Amino acid sequence: MPQYSLINSKMLSIKLHGEEVYAKRGSMIAYTGQVDFAPSSSGSEGLGGRAMRSVTGEQMSLMSARGTGEVLYAFYGLHVTLIQLSGETFFAESESLLAYDGRLRSGTQFMGSGGMQGMLRGAATGSGLFTTTLEGAGELAIVSDGDSFALDVTHDRPIFVDPQAYIGHRGQLQSNIVTDVGWKSFVGQSSGESYQLKFTGLGTVYIQAAERGGNR
Amino acid sequence: MIYNAQNLPVNGNINSYSFCMDVTGEMFIQKGKMVAYYGALKFESLSAGAYDVLVKESFNSPLYMKNFVVVTGRGKLILGDRGNHIASYDLEDGNLTVRSTNVLGFEPSLICQESTVPGYLTLLGTGKFLASSNGAVHFLEPPVRVDEDALLGWADMPSPSYRYDYSYMRGMSGMIRSFVSNRSSGEEKQLDFTGQGTILIQSSETGLVGSTNLETIVSQTSSLQQHELQQLSTHLQGLMQNR
Repeated sequence: MPQYSLINSKMLSIKLHGEEVYAKRGSMIAYTGQVDFAPSSSGSEGLGGRAMRSVTGEQMSLMSARGTGEVLYAFYGLHVTLIQLSGETFFAESESLLAYDGRLRSGTQFMGSGGMQGMLRGAATGSGLFTTTLEGAGELAIVSDGDSFALDVTHDRPIFVDPQAYIGHRGQLQSNIVTDVGWKSFVGQSSGESYQLKFTGLGTVYIQAAERGGNR
Repeated sequence: MIYNAQNLPVNGNINSYSFCMDVTGEMFIQKGKMVAYYGALKFESLSAGAYDVLVKESFNSPLYMKNFVVVTGRGKLILGDRGNHIASYDLEDGNLTVRSTNVLGFEPSLICQESTVPGYLTLLGTGKFLASSNGAVHFLEPPVRVDEDALLGWADMPSPSYRYDYSYMRGMSGMIRSFVSNRSSGEEKQLDFTGQGTILIQSSETGLVGSTNLETIVSQTSSLQQHELQQLSTHLQGLMQNR
């Protein structure tokens, strides 16, 4: 079983004992021992999943590491958060995903509820209508601009999130786009918070204190 | 640690980069800084017309009107600013001037006016405001000279003036620098603060990522004469070619 630990808030160490780990391409900064690296476009999802990705455009550029030793990962000084899964599914923006291993099965899921709503979500997050899913028991690491934090969603407490601050979520959650696109937006007086992702149900949403696609 | 509407800090930092506000009435926030919220909140632009009275009383700065929105309702509002540090300040019958791009939000009990120093906003009165900075904020007392890029603002004191270091400019290297580029390192030109009060600086010489003072610069061009505009145009073209 690969052992995940944080060296500091921005650097991740994974100890390998013959397993395979998938990580964001370009994030490996050092390693010790006998580890082989290879590019991988789909992680642990097999041929069907690969076909699905090329169709849906939810691309992940991953690199796999296999062998025995310790690998250190970091990505542009972004903060790293470890998330423990025990059988459930984690939904992640593919660009926020730093590392996971073969214990988790990855896939893609359609997130937009179709039609105009789906199109809006794609336009608002800039990352398409599909999201990456990871299912199983094990750890995964995500990156965020500033430390990420988790917010609870309960049936009587929905949450509204800036799509560009959204990193991922877990649990039984439905998401849809809320807009305050009124006639005002069309004369150039929008409030700048025009698109919000609304999560309802029971689960946890992970966000970062920065808007993706800013100037970093 | 998983936050929910009950255990989120009340008007406090979640971490250095994000801040949770308890909104119970109205509040001005900079556009696009909302990261998430619980509860029933509405975001409306200042020019929407619904807040004419509020704007007239508290937001005396038409130049920056499109940079801010009014948030109304009841709820927990989480603000973030591109990974910059965020801190809240309580002003008591105060007079505080802050770089406009760093003002994240303020209560309408404060009055916001444009400072005579371009690119800065002055907040008057009693209330809470939020400011972001590149790195943590440090407080200084006059007399002191500060690099313009590191300056965040000043409180209860006269506006600063520029102080040039002639020996730095006169040297051979200074001459070359002034010919080669008009981009100064900031070492030869500082803001000079005198009198009584407090100066706020950030722990970095780089401004906030992605922020500009373009509105201020554009607004000042209206006072220029025809031939001055011509010169400005030539100057801008020169700048663009050198970039």
